[in-house]
Amino acid sequence: MSNTRSLIERLPNDIGGVPAAKIDTTDRELEAWEKRCHALADVLDFRKLINTEEKRCGVEALGSDLVAKLSYYERWIVAFANILLRKEVLTPTEIALKLQEVQARSQIHPAGTAP
Amino acid sequence: MSDHNHDHEVSDGSDDAPGYYELLEITVRELLIEKQLITAAEIRRQLDVLDSRTPAMGARIVARAWVDPAFKDRLLADGRKACEEFGVTFYDDTSLIVLENTETEHNLICCTLCSCYPRPVLGLPPDWYKQKPYRARAISEPRKVLAEFGTIVPDDVSVRVGDSTAMMRFMVLPRRPEGTESFREEELAALVTRDTMIGVAHPSLNARNPE
Repeated sequence: MSNTRSLIERLPNDIGGVPAAKIDTTDRELEAWEKRCHALADVLDFRKLINTEEKRCGVEALGSDLVAKLSYYERWIVAFANILLRKEVLTPTEIALKLQEVQARSQIHPAGTAP
Repeated sequence: MSDHNHDHEVSDGSDDAPGYYELLEITVRELLIEKQLITAAEIRRQLDVLDSRTPAMGARIVARAWVDPAFKDRLLADGRKACEEFGVTFYDDTSLIVLENTETEHNLICCTLCSCYPRPVLGLPPDWYKQKPYRARAISEPRKVLAEFGTIVPDDVSVRVGDSTAMMRFMVLPRRPEGTESFREEELAALVTRDTMIGVAHPSLNARNPE
């Protein structure tokens, strides 16, 4: 039997009961951008732009490889961008140009020293 | 509420240049603000809401349930409604089901699919709650999982696991520790940590919340 069957039967988020490593029980504070990402998610929900179910599906649509490699809020922000593109709320060009602008700005004012 | 930096917009308090995902977060947020689909004020308000939700709220609710049997009945009958008595606000139509630990049953909560969590009463979940090992194993080998948190549940106590969904969140009502008969409600609340309300720990006279 092909070992791809499990990929069909279980979407990336559906991991209940699969073998996994020991739990790392250490805590950490969220980074500022992670908390902002969480606030953004909540506001997107209030404003009916992306609801919880769309968010979960958006993360799933990243595929197992990305889901495994990205951290929690990295998955979220990539999923939000993808969903907003699909809904034609944002365009690829807008994102590319804004990203350039934000990056240029952050090089002039590294985070923490911005005006 | 803390009085720390309320300029949540750009500063992240570190000297490192922001990484790709942070740049993406800033990009998406600023574009949506420019398009007037969201406002910067809404984001700031929500950050304050996130900061205001902490396990201290859940601890107050648990302590009340320990001292007030009528409240406990209401809490177990309809968790959301009982928590609303404390001024807790819920989002959407999510329900809250409170699972009571007893002499014969220990409860544990998880979210195998993602990270659903009783945020209104406990705040944001810890990292391990969102990571694969806990999500994968909590439902299939809860006793081993509990042991990794240093919590041993005797074989004659059954373990029940609540697997949350977007619309249905769980919180554990831990057992009141012995030797606390003379404790006031606030003293009891100090014994109720986040982990005891997830179900990975028991309240203990040796493990109190910081003042």
